[in-house]
Amino acid sequence: MKIVVLVKRVPDTASVFKVASDGRSVELDGLKFVMSPYDEHAVEEAIRLKEKMGAEVIVLSAGPPECKEVIRSALAMGADAGAHLLLPGDTGYASRGVAEALAVAAKTLEPDLILAGKQAVDDDAAQVPERVAELLDLPHASIVTRLECTATAVTVDCEVEGGQFTAELPLPALVTAQKGLNTPRYPTLPNIMKAKKKEIRELTLDKLGLSGDRLAAGMTVTAMALPRQQRLGKILDGDTAQRVKELVRALREDEKVL
Amino acid sequence: MSDKLADMRFIRFLLYEVNKIEELLQYPYHEDHSRETFDMAIDAAYDLAREVFWPAFQEMDREGAVFDGSHVAAPKAMHEIWRQCKEGGWFAPNVCYDFGGQQFPLSILAVTSFLFSAGNSSAAMYVNGAWGAAHLIESFGNEDLKARYLQPLYGGEWGGTMALTEPDAGTSLGDITTTAVKAPDGDHYLIRGTKRFISSGDHDLAENIIHPVLVRLEGAPPGVKGISLVVVPKRRVNADGTLGEFNNVVTAGIEHKMGLRGQATATLMFGEQGECHGWLIGEPNKGLSYMFQLMNHARVFTGIQAVAGASAAYHCAVQYARERLQGREITNKDPLSPQIPIISHADVRRMLLQQKAFIEGALGMILFCAKVADRMQNTTDEEEKKTCNLLLETLTPCCKAHVSDEAFKSITAALQCFGGAGFCEEFPVAQLLRDNKVFSIYEGANGIQAMDLLGRKVPMEAGAAVRALMTEIGKNIAEASALEALKPLADKVQEVQNAVIDVTMHLGAIGMSGEVNLYICNATAYLAMFSQLVMGWQHLVQATAAQQALDAGADDADFYKAKLETARFYINTTMPHTLATAQVLKAVERTALDYPPDWF
Repeated sequence: MKIVVLVKRVPDTASVFKVASDGRSVELDGLKFVMSPYDEHAVEEAIRLKEKMGAEVIVLSAGPPECKEVIRSALAMGADAGAHLLLPGDTGYASRGVAEALAVAAKTLEPDLILAGKQAVDDDAAQVPERVAELLDLPHASIVTRLECTATAVTVDCEVEGGQFTAELPLPALVTAQKGLNTPRYPTLPNIMKAKKKEIRELTLDKLGLSGDRLAAGMTVTAMALPRQQRLGKILDGDTAQRVKELVRALREDEKVL
Repeated sequence: MSDKLADMRFIRFLLYEVNKIEELLQYPYHEDHSRETFDMAIDAAYDLAREVFWPAFQEMDREGAVFDGSHVAAPKAMHEIWRQCKEGGWFAPNVCYDFGGQQFPLSILAVTSFLFSAGNSSAAMYVNGAWGAAHLIESFGNEDLKARYLQPLYGGEWGGTMALTEPDAGTSLGDITTTAVKAPDGDHYLIRGTKRFISSGDHDLAENIIHPVLVRLEGAPPGVKGISLVVVPKRRVNADGTLGEFNNVVTAGIEHKMGLRGQATATLMFGEQGECHGWLIGEPNKGLSYMFQLMNHARVFTGIQAVAGASAAYHCAVQYARERLQGREITNKDPLSPQIPIISHADVRRMLLQQKAFIEGALGMILFCAKVADRMQNTTDEEEKKTCNLLLETLTPCCKAHVSDEAFKSITAALQCFGGAGFCEEFPVAQLLRDNKVFSIYEGANGIQAMDLLGRKVPMEAGAAVRALMTEIGKNIAEASALEALKPLADKVQEVQNAVIDVTMHLGAIGMSGEVNLYICNATAYLAMFSQLVMGWQHLVQATAAQQALDAGADDADFYKAKLETARFYINTTMPHTLATAQVLKAVERTALDYPPDWF
């Protein structure tokens, strides 16, 4: 059995973010990059399946050369090999273009099961895995919190608004991981040393016969700003007349909106 | 609670740009490594520190270790931390492959210890204890002891301690009374005595605990020349490595402490209730010199723990200062205008800068030592080995005493940033302050460290140790002076270095004249002066690297500019005080020496 896990390199959300001088993008200098946290759940699940039923786990990531660091950290968790699809630029790719490239790359790896995080924490688009599945004509299930696998099928619990449902998908299939699926393991020192010796296959758009002309975003960002800091709510005491008086005072003096 | 415990960008700056630890890759012992394995190790350690150690920080303090009259239970959360460290190989990052380690440099071990201690010092000590005991056996034990004990200790199967202190022999180790008598049959000794203040002395985290114990053999000479080192397991270990019977190491109790309450600090009775077997490590009567090898590690580790607590407190204070709204700009007279975060007030930034400057200088000092220790361990050049040893001998008391003294002050400043809330246990800063106090006391109280520096290290090999350090400092001052922007800072550090050399010569003459008590009576002030020179030097070295990066057009310019300003703050605000201390030392202030005890 062969499992391919799609992982994305994203800025660590614990970083201090700044808007770049162009006013339309995030300042990348000084940011620390990590594997998108939902993807860690996908990697963990793949390694658990490998430990349980035997499988080869290959981690696939598309992006700039630094993506290899993220692939290495998945290898240090226990994945067997990596594949890096080099893309021009370093961020802001269109979901559609990335999905097309990843679909072609994933196909060359001949997976029985593809796992991915339910979304990446940078753009939160939640687009790529499902697009890959559709392009490869695979059954797929999203936002999964439980997964059972046999040699021929995968059974999953999917979160939906207000509840969940259980589905069985024939393999090959694609599944995206939600937080509750498992607790990702930490890289161990012995695995960090082993990861160094594991193979990362180098893929390029050229080699895959792709032009990359659909990687550019299909939208234009006109402005970017940091969200306004959340303020604490306040409950007013007293009867209606007192509360209205206090509300008007607060709107005028504290919030200065009147 | 802050989700940041340390500045990883700064740690990378120290490792790669200042200390250039990639140079260590030239040594065969580290040849499998690369910057990538180093980064992955410190990142994994930081994740563990934030996500496993830190969430248990307050819980372990509130629950404490519990003694039921016969057994000690470690705090519940400690079991998960132990398991993670065992699975991750964190008991032995630097140890050789043959004993289950991964041959990382000590520079990386220092960083991972720092991160774990920033997350939870009580917890980090359980892990470090096992490493220390194993390291002693590895360095001085015979093949049989190594075969029995190393793998389980380095693998996190068993815990470890070091048992020196007795109820009536703490600082004065020459007065210990625990005895070891050669057993009539077998290769072991029969141990009798009581040891106190044993960190991780008893717990339920592992099925066995290994105690290296300082003892006196029958007929040993009095004082420090008659001390031997034995290994005493809680449960005996059979030749095939399986566990044998209980070895009569009985826990008499655990301490109820001001801080580090998650740590089981035990009083242990050896051989009071039946035969307690111990096996000699190395040669008879050489125990103290063996133990000193571990003590030197433990002293630097104490400095690491101290600055780690200061780092956690600092990041809590920064977060609070950004979020807490209080007051307005001094020039703003409009009472209806919104309040501003307290970080906008210069005096709050002064408190934050004081902490940041301390942490960066202290980490600089410690990681400088770690790189020197790495070189000493790896080099085949005897001359280099000797210089490294001299540098470490001189700097160890500074790492231990100055860093722990200043860390406590640093956390006091962090607590002050919180105002009244800092005094409440709801925020972690109060506990960080309580936890930090012991670092100026254990592993040789700071007064003893000062006497070690002035009484032992300064005169060592006719001043060779101090000369080695001064040469190193002089080189870096010259390098900084060559950069125009740093010349004023370099001049200030140079002035202090001149003063330190002057005071040292002056005191040296007093010592040579035989007035030993007068020579040593201001040792604490001497250690402060000496260490501030070391801190100023480290800031200058860091400023040089930052300036060079800026001149080369580095990407994240703000980081380097901040580093330059932090160095400027430390040097401009501390060096004048250092010169004042030098004046006091030169005047050989002797009131305390002459003050009769009856007048108190």
